[in-house]
Amino acid sequence: MTFEPAPQSGLGKVEALALVALLATWEIVGRADISMFLPPVSQVAGAWWGLVADGTLFGAGASSLAALLKGYFLAALLGVVLGLGMGRFSAVRYFFDSWVNAMMSAPLSALVPVLIALFGIRGTVVTATVFLFAFFVIVVNTLTGVRGTERSLVEMARSFGAGEAELFLRVYLPSALPAVMLGLRLGAVQAVKGMVVGEMLISLVGLGERLVYYGNTFLIHELYAVILSVLIVAIVGSQLVQWSERVLVRWK
Amino acid sequence: MEQAVGIAVEGVHKEFGSVKALADVSIAVRAGEFLSIIGPSGCGKTTLLKIIAGLLPAESGRVVVGARTVKGPGPECSMVFQDFALLPWATVKQNVEFGARLRGIPALERAERAQRAIAKVGLAGTFEGAYPAQLSGGMQQRVGLARALAVNPQVLLMDEPFASIDEQTRRVLQDDLLGVWSDERKTVVLVTHSMEEAVYLSDRVVVLSPRPGKVHRVLDVPLPRPRQSGEVRASAAFARLVDDVWQILRKLQ
Repeated sequence: MTFEPAPQSGLGKVEALALVALLATWEIVGRADISMFLPPVSQVAGAWWGLVADGTLFGAGASSLAALLKGYFLAALLGVVLGLGMGRFSAVRYFFDSWVNAMMSAPLSALVPVLIALFGIRGTVVTATVFLFAFFVIVVNTLTGVRGTERSLVEMARSFGAGEAELFLRVYLPSALPAVMLGLRLGAVQAVKGMVVGEMLISLVGLGERLVYYGNTFLIHELYAVILSVLIVAIVGSQLVQWSERVLVRWK
Repeated sequence: MEQAVGIAVEGVHKEFGSVKALADVSIAVRAGEFLSIIGPSGCGKTTLLKIIAGLLPAESGRVVVGARTVKGPGPECSMVFQDFALLPWATVKQNVEFGARLRGIPALERAERAQRAIAKVGLAGTFEGAYPAQLSGGMQQRVGLARALAVNPQVLLMDEPFASIDEQTRRVLQDDLLGVWSDERKTVVLVTHSMEEAVYLSDRVVVLSPRPGKVHRVLDVPLPRPRQSGEVRASAAFARLVDDVWQILRKLQ
């Protein structure tokens, strides 16, 4: 089968234009020297390059990314499994529903001290925080996807003799796939949040530690450089998931 | 091709909670017959079809398809659905093969049967790689029909298959269905709310009365076949039969 790429509309150009406008505004406001907390973007870029050159960003970034990937993939795997289970079996759903709902609305940062108590002040806490932040949104989206499966498709498959396993593999799973992918995308953004929150609270490793350090020592250029790096990680992560979504969900 | 089989519906009762849906329904469908079930909404006609298909259990009574007492979906029957029930993530070809795949037919034979079924419903060539969302309603139901035919059933169960399709397309589909039926001589049970459709297609029309659903009348349709020529629809006999059904249904409303 051939796969046509999405037609390139003028949207890409508009987005590029918006980005240029944003950077230009930042530069102008920065040069106006309103506050030391608003340096021009060109100087931030300089500081960013400095952090790249002296290896700070790679050192901190590598530690952050390792925690991010570990926490996220664990959350993705277990989140999809629990979401599928909850979507398909009402007993599983009733058992976990109130837990998942509570955790969805709970301020998760408040739980990080508990994780520190559990794991000690170590990198593992960051992985656990990433997991915690990403897990529930993946569960809920997967669950919603399974529950949204058209009843008539299930009936159709049954009329041709489908058993439980076939129903699951050939109807529920593909039907839930778009929602699962949405959950994974939202989860990726949440995971980056969890990474930063975890690292800032334990102040020991990664980009989050650098944020705290530069913030406390008023190294504003470097602070912005790290913030931008985190943003880039979030955007790249979300784009990666979106790309795999387009490959997997071709029919939409 | 396998021999067509008859269907015996014997004293079927069905309840949904405290609501009686069907009460003592008995119908004998002859092998190779085209039978329609019609009735006011809420008369349980779709419920009855699902019981025949083995998708719903009856409270009491039984359904026998050929020699098999229905306990669940069986290999003799295949179903065509009102909302087409096509997998949106699968191509036309994959959709047509889906039923055969679930019935465990090996890949090579499955592809061959799908090919034949696709040709039979007039979809050959251009559409096989398309996704359902790219097709019109009429085309989608052709895919639904091809999927049902690809398992080579002896009985076709059709649940208001053309209800959501525009009138012009519907007439073409009805004629094509008659073509398929006269080629293959399958037993067809069709649920519909269209009096014209019931009379035009059927050998007999069963009228169900509502709350609870009961067999109210069984009408013979002595119109000549083949009917696809267009003369049947224009004939006085056709109009009179449709009016007969209407007079019966009117008193049931």
